Amino acid sequence: MGAYLTRRFLLMVLTLFGMSVLIFVMLRLVPGNIADILVDAAGIADPKEKAKIIHELGLDRPIVEQYGQWIGGLARGDLGFAYVSERPALEEIAPRIPISAKLAGMALLLSVLIGVPFGVISAVRQNTALDYFLRVISLSGLSLPSFWLGLLVLMASVHWFGTIPIYSNEPRSFLQEVGLLSIPAAVVGFRSSALVMRLTRSSMLEVLRQDYIRTARSKGASQTSVNYDHALRNALLPVVTIIGIEAAFLVGGLIVTETVFNIPGVARFLVEAILWRDYPIVQNLVMLIAFVVVMVNFLVDMAYMALDPRIKYAD
Amino acid sequence: MAHIDHDAELTRAGAYVTGGWSQIVFFTRRYPLGAVGALIVLAFILTAVFASVMAPIDPTATNARASLAKPGGVHLLGADFMGRDMYSRIVHGARISLAVGVGAMSLGCILGVSIGLMSGYLGGWVDLATQRLMDIMQSLPLLVMAIVMAASLGPSLRNTIIAIAIPLVPSVARVVRSSTLSLREQPFVEAARAVGMGELRIAVRHVLPNTLAPLIVLATAQLGSAILVEASLSFLGLGIPEPHPSWGRMLSESAAEYVRSAPWLVIFPGLAISLTVFGTNLLGDALRDILDPRERT
Amino acid sequence: MRICLALVAGSLAAAVSVASPAFAQKQGGTLRISHRDNPPSASIHEEATISVVQPFMAVFNNLVVFDPKEKINSPDKIVPDLAESWSWSPDQTKLTFKLRSGVKWHDGKPFSAKDVKCTWDSLIGKADEKSDLIRKNPRKVWYSNLKEVTAGSDTEVTFTLGRPQPSFLSMLAAGYSPVYACHANGRDMRSKPIGTGPFKVVDFKRNEAIKLVRNPDYWKKGRPYLDAIDWKIVPNRSTRMLGFIAGEFDMTFDSDITFPMLADVKAQKADAVCEARPSNVNTNLLVNRDAPPFDSPELRRALALSLDRKTFNDILFQGHALTGASMLPPPAGVWGMSKEMLESMPGFSPDRDKNLAEARAIMAKLGYTKDKPLNIKVSTRNIAIYRDPAVILIDQLKQIYIEGELEPIDTTVWYTKVQSKKYSIGLNLTGLGVDDPDTNFYENFYSTSDRNYTGYKNPEVDKLIEQQSAETDRGKRQKLVWEVEKRLIEDGARPVINQNVANTCWDPKVKGLVLQHNSIYNGWRFEDIWLDK
Repeated sequence: MGAYLTRRFLLMVLTLFGMSVLIFVMLRLVPGNIADILVDAAGIADPKEKAKIIHELGLDRPIVEQYGQWIGGLARGDLGFAYVSERPALEEIAPRIPISAKLAGMALLLSVLIGVPFGVISAVRQNTALDYFLRVISLSGLSLPSFWLGLLVLMASVHWFGTIPIYSNEPRSFLQEVGLLSIPAAVVGFRSSALVMRLTRSSMLEVLRQDYIRTARSKGASQTSVNYDHALRNALLPVVTIIGIEAAFLVGGLIVTETVFNIPGVARFLVEAILWRDYPIVQNLVMLIAFVVVMVNFLVDMAYMALDPRIKYAD
Repeated sequence: MAHIDHDAELTRAGAYVTGGWSQIVFFTRRYPLGAVGALIVLAFILTAVFASVMAPIDPTATNARASLAKPGGVHLLGADFMGRDMYSRIVHGARISLAVGVGAMSLGCILGVSIGLMSGYLGGWVDLATQRLMDIMQSLPLLVMAIVMAASLGPSLRNTIIAIAIPLVPSVARVVRSSTLSLREQPFVEAARAVGMGELRIAVRHVLPNTLAPLIVLATAQLGSAILVEASLSFLGLGIPEPHPSWGRMLSESAAEYVRSAPWLVIFPGLAISLTVFGTNLLGDALRDILDPRERT
Repeated sequence: MRICLALVAGSLAAAVSVASPAFAQKQGGTLRISHRDNPPSASIHEEATISVVQPFMAVFNNLVVFDPKEKINSPDKIVPDLAESWSWSPDQTKLTFKLRSGVKWHDGKPFSAKDVKCTWDSLIGKADEKSDLIRKNPRKVWYSNLKEVTAGSDTEVTFTLGRPQPSFLSMLAAGYSPVYACHANGRDMRSKPIGTGPFKVVDFKRNEAIKLVRNPDYWKKGRPYLDAIDWKIVPNRSTRMLGFIAGEFDMTFDSDITFPMLADVKAQKADAVCEARPSNVNTNLLVNRDAPPFDSPELRRALALSLDRKTFNDILFQGHALTGASMLPPPAGVWGMSKEMLESMPGFSPDRDKNLAEARAIMAKLGYTKDKPLNIKVSTRNIAIYRDPAVILIDQLKQIYIEGELEPIDTTVWYTKVQSKKYSIGLNLTGLGVDDPDTNFYENFYSTSDRNYTGYKNPEVDKLIEQQSAETDRGKRQKLVWEVEKRLIEDGARPVINQNVANTCWDPKVKGLVLQHNSIYNGWRFEDIWLDK
């Protein structure tokens, strides 16, 4: 077990290291750099001025040296300076994290609250009209692009309430913030709940087919008790996995939803930073996202191990 | 992993019931949702193929007089602010979606299958290295990876296909690898080796066909997500450029500005995306039921 | 015509608001405005976009400024700002300003003539090596005639020119010409600048917000009225518009509401005050004259004849855009040609059928037909305001047997691509910071200019540009300007499709706003604006 943990941890570090190389190289393949943008934004194309900015930012140094500088800084907790704002990248990124985290947290909560119960019901009532209905709903949830759903919500909101839930002023209280974030969270969460429901349903079905359930049934346990006492408890285990899958799934939803609702979170910031070729921001944000995804997967594995002693990690 | 007897599974699912028509009837009875999905996907493919016949109006032709025209009359689904016919644009948009969906899916599958086969069949350090590479690629969500790729490559149809295909590779490679691992030791592979068949030939002739079932299930799911990712990329301005009538692009920038005066600009392209993805998802579910009994729902 | 009416109506409204008694103006309140994108920096001198000027002009003062109460910026409507008065030397080459005393920077340090010298020394590359006040200057051509700036005393500064240039004062009066603090550094000017103006920068959060608060020590007594200005950066235009409709913002970004959108705004917010005005940005064609096929003057002529300006106008502006050459036409523009003069120019004739017939005849002569069209790429920046007209252009080119394919270019490499001549036709937008022939001609058509992207070279035109620039007689200069315009049209230097017009909207409680009708880059000091709550 200890050996497994160590191995798993080392793999995680290796993955993150690989990601850092990948993103670093990929960004430098992108046509145009920050100097082009800064100079072009001013409507001029003076190679001398570009060269000056490139030199100032150290972009003319060997790529390996640039990489070393970034990773060295990262190890010391120094994320470098954002090109566009010329402020420490940490100062630019840090205040946006809680906003996205809250949004993601609310969406996740919502998706579990909706997805798990409906998934269970759908499995227990397999192949009934209710099951078909729930499956169609969840599939359509997965089929709606979340930016479209967001636009429809905005349209409807202006139409019926004359106001829109966009983040135009910093919320003054926690409640106000929850209020502001709830609609975008619902938009992201709706899609995610569809995913949770499907996964819950299939894991529940699998459990229902297991021998011990059949045994319990043959011993005369009532159908309801079998479904809810035995099956659900065992089916909840995979729900932990679902949360892991969700983490990656949510980030995608956050990017477009933060754009539609103008929420100053990290996901939208990433897209803007890419468009500005603001390498320090993009690199660090990508690493942050990769870290969250890898970490969640790691924690899910740990949780699995703790919850299910039958699983052996020999591999 | 147990080897799956696909013939038996297919027979059980009713695929081999005598005659073409009765097969369809059986499939429809057994998987009504899947049949609906198949119908939607078929309609989508036919629309894409016969776009010019179905919508003779040039989707890029502008017309000042038809600016923001309401649905009905000449413009069945209205017109955008440049007077371009929405019906035509949506019909031709199916082409873009199909091209990107099928293109990205095929490219992703070809790369994924090659990597997966190689990794599973050769094993050793090749396997180890590719597995770590897949780990790295999977540490970023699909859309984030696609965004970074799309920005690196620049906006065009070809680049969008590549940007979506690459992030699809790891999941395909993983599925193919695990099937290959279990197949490698199967008696029929041993037998082929014994009669002196080349390793590459064994991999392609004997191992690959047996990984097809999970691959088809995965590919159908990926078709839907490729279409969605394309729409998201185009919505963010990183996907298919104008004047190609991409559904996602239609929803970005100009369309949404006329939400009140021309809601059809927002509603119809969104419906087109949703319906198509819905269809592939329904079909994918049914295919999974047929081909992958362990996941039977 | 509609624009004329709008102008008249607008002037009337302005007259009423100016005439209203002073005690009606209320102190206090926060003005909330939506911003369309992230300003590349806060340093006005380093940038060339309204995204920077509109929010940050209120932080600074100029030496002189176009009269903020006038709708039309013109050389004879320039009023003092940090300079109390100015005078020209008899030979018209030395311009001396007498400066206001007792003015303080936002950090409390006193303002003096040294600051003026520092600012313009940096702009003409004469600053101290160590100084990093300004690291790039997109308006070098404005100051190509400026030889030296000398501070006579703390309150006197003299600009020495190489030759007489009457436009020089107009350039100093533009929103693009604030005075910077000598003791500031470039990084601060780009992120949290200090100025002498009515508002101080509290915070400039990238991609998020710009917060300005009232400068209590502003040298102009009783100004500004507002306590604060809150800019919220909302890159998605529909979200921005919905925000204005829902009352999240008191005002839209400058020229943010296109004509097709206007109906929507009016329908949902009936009390919105919207004013249409030319932005002094024109949509034009860049033509690569150095490579086939457009090295042929005949083909260029056919191209110019094929442009259906009315259709562009109808689609993009619902007919509200102005037809003009490179200078904005009257009445909003001071220097442009009248409608009658324009219509005698090639391609501007309203007889569309005749133009098309002539263009087709040229194409036929060159061997192109409907079945054997000329295939080209139409390059443009990958932004909607560039792409939309390009799509229309491609549609129109079909009529003269040219099959165009749109090539959207990433904004980051657009100018580089154009300058290296890797295009055949480019669709471009050109904006003028000041409605002044010098800024336009030197920048875009003078053979040695940085921003003459098309590499247009005509020694005769260069000479005419020099002549008009040095001409101090207004009437004579006007004639020379028209002559330059005529040559540019005949050469097909950069065919102008439309002079753009767009709407800016605000809530009726916003008072005292006077929009400048020949440059969107001027008139954003915000010191006279108040909220009637």
